[in-house]
Amino acid sequence: MHDLVNDLRAALGTDRARAEPLELALYARDAGVARGRAAAVCWPSSTDDVAAAVRIARRHGRPFVARGSGTGLAGGATPVGDPVVIVTTHMNRVLEVDTANRVAWVEPGVLNLDLTRSVHHLGLHYAPDPSSQQACTVGGNVATNAGGPHCLASGVTSTHVLALDVVLADGSLARLGGLEPDQPGYDLRGCFVGSEGTMGIATRIAVRLSPDPPAVRTLLLGFDSVDDAAATVSGIIAAGIVPAALEMMDALITRAVEDFVGAGFPRDAAAVLLVELDGLPDGVDAQIGAVRAVASERSARTVRVAADEAERALLWKGRKSAFGAIARIAPDYYLHDAVVPRTRLVDVLEQVYAIAGEHRLTVMNVFHAGDGNLHPLIVFDAREPGIWDRVHAAGDEILRACVEAGGVLSGEHGIGLEKREAMPWIFSADDLDAQARLRDAFDPTGAANPQKVLPAGSRCGEATRVPEGAWI
Amino acid sequence: MDLTEPDVASIDVDVARLQDAVRDATRVVPEGARTQWEVGGAPRAGTLVRAPAGVVRYEPADLTVTVAAGTPFEHLAAVLREHGQECPLDPRDARATVGGLLSAGLSGHRRLRLGPLRNWVLEVRFVTAEGRLVKGGGPTVKNVSGYDLPRLLVGSLGTIGVLTQVTLRAEPLPAASQWATTARPPSDVRAELFRPSSILFDGRRTRVLLEGEPADVEAQLRAGALEPAEPPAWPPGANRGRISIAPDRVERLGARLTNAGARWLAEVGVGTVHVAGDTPETLTAAREAAAEHGGWLLREAGAPALDPFGVPLPNFGLQQRVKAAFDPHGKMNPGRIPAIDPDPAREIA
Amino acid sequence: MTTPAPTDGRVALLHVDDDDLAACVACGLCLPHCPTYRVTGLEAASPRGRITAMRAVQWDGAALDATFAQYMEECVQCRGCEAACPSSVPFGRLMEGARATLQEQPPVKRSPLRGVAEWFGFRVLLPRHWLLLAFTWLLLVAQRLRIVPKGVALPRLSARSLVRPLRPAPAAGEVDAYLFTGCVMDAWQRDVHRAALEVMEAGGAAVGLAGRGGDCCGALHVHAGRIDEARRLATRVVASMPGDAPVVVDSAGCGAAMKDYGHLIDTPEARAFAARVRDFAEWARERHLPLELTGRRVVVQDPCHLRHVQRAASFTHEVLARAYDVTGTDDDGLCCGAGGVYAVVQPELAGAIRARKVEALQRAAGDTAPLVASANPGCLMHLRGAGVDVRHPAELLAAALKKERPPL
Repeated sequence: MHDLVNDLRAALGTDRARAEPLELALYARDAGVARGRAAAVCWPSSTDDVAAAVRIARRHGRPFVARGSGTGLAGGATPVGDPVVIVTTHMNRVLEVDTANRVAWVEPGVLNLDLTRSVHHLGLHYAPDPSSQQACTVGGNVATNAGGPHCLASGVTSTHVLALDVVLADGSLARLGGLEPDQPGYDLRGCFVGSEGTMGIATRIAVRLSPDPPAVRTLLLGFDSVDDAAATVSGIIAAGIVPAALEMMDALITRAVEDFVGAGFPRDAAAVLLVELDGLPDGVDAQIGAVRAVASERSARTVRVAADEAERALLWKGRKSAFGAIARIAPDYYLHDAVVPRTRLVDVLEQVYAIAGEHRLTVMNVFHAGDGNLHPLIVFDAREPGIWDRVHAAGDEILRACVEAGGVLSGEHGIGLEKREAMPWIFSADDLDAQARLRDAFDPTGAANPQKVLPAGSRCGEATRVPEGAWI
Repeated sequence: MDLTEPDVASIDVDVARLQDAVRDATRVVPEGARTQWEVGGAPRAGTLVRAPAGVVRYEPADLTVTVAAGTPFEHLAAVLREHGQECPLDPRDARATVGGLLSAGLSGHRRLRLGPLRNWVLEVRFVTAEGRLVKGGGPTVKNVSGYDLPRLLVGSLGTIGVLTQVTLRAEPLPAASQWATTARPPSDVRAELFRPSSILFDGRRTRVLLEGEPADVEAQLRAGALEPAEPPAWPPGANRGRISIAPDRVERLGARLTNAGARWLAEVGVGTVHVAGDTPETLTAAREAAAEHGGWLLREAGAPALDPFGVPLPNFGLQQRVKAAFDPHGKMNPGRIPAIDPDPAREIA
Repeated sequence: MTTPAPTDGRVALLHVDDDDLAACVACGLCLPHCPTYRVTGLEAASPRGRITAMRAVQWDGAALDATFAQYMEECVQCRGCEAACPSSVPFGRLMEGARATLQEQPPVKRSPLRGVAEWFGFRVLLPRHWLLLAFTWLLLVAQRLRIVPKGVALPRLSARSLVRPLRPAPAAGEVDAYLFTGCVMDAWQRDVHRAALEVMEAGGAAVGLAGRGGDCCGALHVHAGRIDEARRLATRVVASMPGDAPVVVDSAGCGAAMKDYGHLIDTPEARAFAARVRDFAEWARERHLPLELTGRRVVVQDPCHLRHVQRAASFTHEVLARAYDVTGTDDDGLCCGAGGVYAVVQPELAGAIRARKVEALQRAAGDTAPLVASANPGCLMHLRGAGVDVRHPAELLAAALKKERPPL
């Protein structure tokens, strides 16, 4: 162990690697619930440092796990198998802003919102905006193919990453993708984005910058029933409008948020929608009219267009404070992430409430309605004996209900450790084997973030085993 | 044939037969409508296989559509149009099959606003060299469950597996759509427009496709001092290729292409330059010009003696490993990406 | 503050509430709002990491050792994390509890010199205002003799100011407002009080000063985990300003501590007193002030204890905007690194944090050198140490008062 840290220190600098028990405890988990154990933690400051750390880990027979801000919710950065944790927070420079190509080259530790702020004066922004955008890193976004409210119209991370310099599991370097629109051969860049750190570590990332829309307007719609709200979502799409964002909050969460933020959300509504439209001023006005019409057809009782930027910001603050609002109701929550076809929203929501009821749990829903990305939130008090079993059981049933409605396991959090064992719910043995082949082609050693994404036994003939030091 | 109500059972039977055929063949050559038959290297002789056709599931309110891979794009477009939607794969020849289009992976002229082809693919099903049916991705508009096999398959020219079925994202048709033109330089025009669908430049005139709310299209025409015009024609010529280059180098490259005697049309802001000439030599010259500016030229048609890519595959070892993971014996569509075929020496012999 | 009953026979170590400690869900949204995390990128220097470390000690039997002490002591206690926390974790309370524990059971023997310095500062100097003033005279002499060590961000002390006491115009009856003058600030920055007094009187208020014992508010003691001493000082302050008149505080750190007296002392008197406490700008915004537009641009730096703790930073912007072209920084109010005595105890981190803040101030100012407003004496001195032109909002307002004013 000491040799490992000494080697890392020799390569990266004396203060750039540690292995004291208390230090390791700080890196035992991300924002998910799974806890693991690292052998050492290091903080590289360059691509060469990362490559050196990977090679040293390999030389000592250890796997490695990349970590940005540790805001992932699926345990993707949880160290399993006594790995070296490679933290990218020191690699936090915006290296180049190329306005002619509308591209920025960034290091992986740059925070998502910092990137957008650094190009704000140019009238540009980085489109993917996960709810944790103030804290999460672009490198982590690449690993999880992160989404966000505004990905409905503008697409998730993979559509905004043009090129990546990566350190592969053997310590070698590769550039995947490029600023040219196409590259000969396979789309390795596309394979890497969303691979949750199991194919290597991105050390330089070229992201697309999008021009700020000339006009942005946000509508708040309140309904007496979840059905009407969901029908309005479908109605907006049917009217030929794809809003920049389309978010739904149910009654419980709306009340909680209103009590917390006081943004003027209707406290007695069964559901509210936040609809954001952007583009050119005339078109946005026309779309506001169309959305109003759809909403009134569905007997919306509140139709409010934010009058100014301050009001708009307040509405979004309400939406993004959902978790804070919940903390006032119960001390703990478990946040789920699943996607169903938009047309099955009402149906699945009913099941979500029923499942929670059966397990005597409170569930709230605040989610990306536009793309059917549900975030059922179970609130509870962890001190209640046996509560975790009920929370997990309900969570599993909710996920099953989503899958049975034609949905998938995760819309933006990823699989990590959390949903690994659920992968066979949506993929056959052959499907999983194909995914394992792709992963293994990038990392034949299995050293890059081992035991994530794919359940044990995904490879044909592989023995099933439980990871050491992990509990979920 | 009413494509909105497919006979799903027959598609399943077709897929099962396809699996058998692939499993038993020594060389598999997937075939669509042969509209991009010359993209990549020339296909070798082998067992021709075709994917079934038909719309499997279409839910307009979900903005998703699932089609069998052999479905001609024009049929898909017609079905979507009935509900005021489209899937902007924008093939040059609408007879192309959806599977063929995605396998070739060449994006359409509206990439500037709508992104590359791969962004529209949510789920793929394909038959592997061993004859297994594999699904990757998922049917919803948002999904991060597992590895991104759809992006691996798009542009893989049939060398990983034979696409049998895909789920695509759809989008409302724009309420208004107008081509326009101006003599002003394309970079100036681009700076003034918000989310134009396409900006094309042929060295003399800038052509713009504006789509969206009618009022916006009008406003943009005024803002850019653009005159309404007919859609532009693709550069004519039997020898065709497309150059990929960093977008900011397009105009400089254009001048070189003109000098080389090539006809060309560049997608401004994207970096794709469509090139055509009467002789294969024109493409050779265009390829040299592209290389000088850090780009490369893909041969799309004609010039049979010209190497299809003209550059070594980047990350060759990694590409080889990916290929070998799915098709270790090089049975899937050999010749289309010649460099990736295992043991090319034996293939030539 | 309840210390949990030990569940496994082991004596629970930290003076923190288990519920408070359990409230963190480790989401990490605090990270970018933590100045030490921003400059180090280390989990150990982040609120989430510090809580994890506290949990390791409290729940998992980790040692209360030098490493743990270092993690705790590196915290500036700016409480930027509290404002950002979606789960409303009372981080300030946790940190004060952990520090109180470290105060009682120091894992490493403190250097005798530091022990003496702390005793002298916290126990002798701060509670005795006359002694602090005398000490300030000594410092002033030292400063003139240039024997104050470099790196000590001491303001240039003024003998002229020290000999002139604050003299509000005598009030006919009850005062309209108290101006709280504190301890160090009265000794080192009395001119700020003078400006505040001028502005308050220009706003038509009959101003009173605190009576005996109304000097040190105990804020620094709370931060250092010296809770009992802080309570004694606070009780004195409460008694020093009787009646119902608002207590105007022109030091954001003192104001924050005084607004929290209800929690610190937990008596009806303390709660009633805490409700009367106003930040200077919070009070001034409700007054008509005879100001004239200066046309000058001012970059407002939000002191943490005003923004995150009092949640009253916007008032400074509002009031200054009556006379200045006001702009804020784009760093979400990230701490400047002053943190009471933090800049002295952790000079390296404080310097790195300050460098970040100075960049933000410069970005906000554009091409010119920034003129900065800061409502906290600690921030003011710390930023001046980096060569930034920083004034208290009261000074800026006093400078913008109309010269010819109608008689009151």
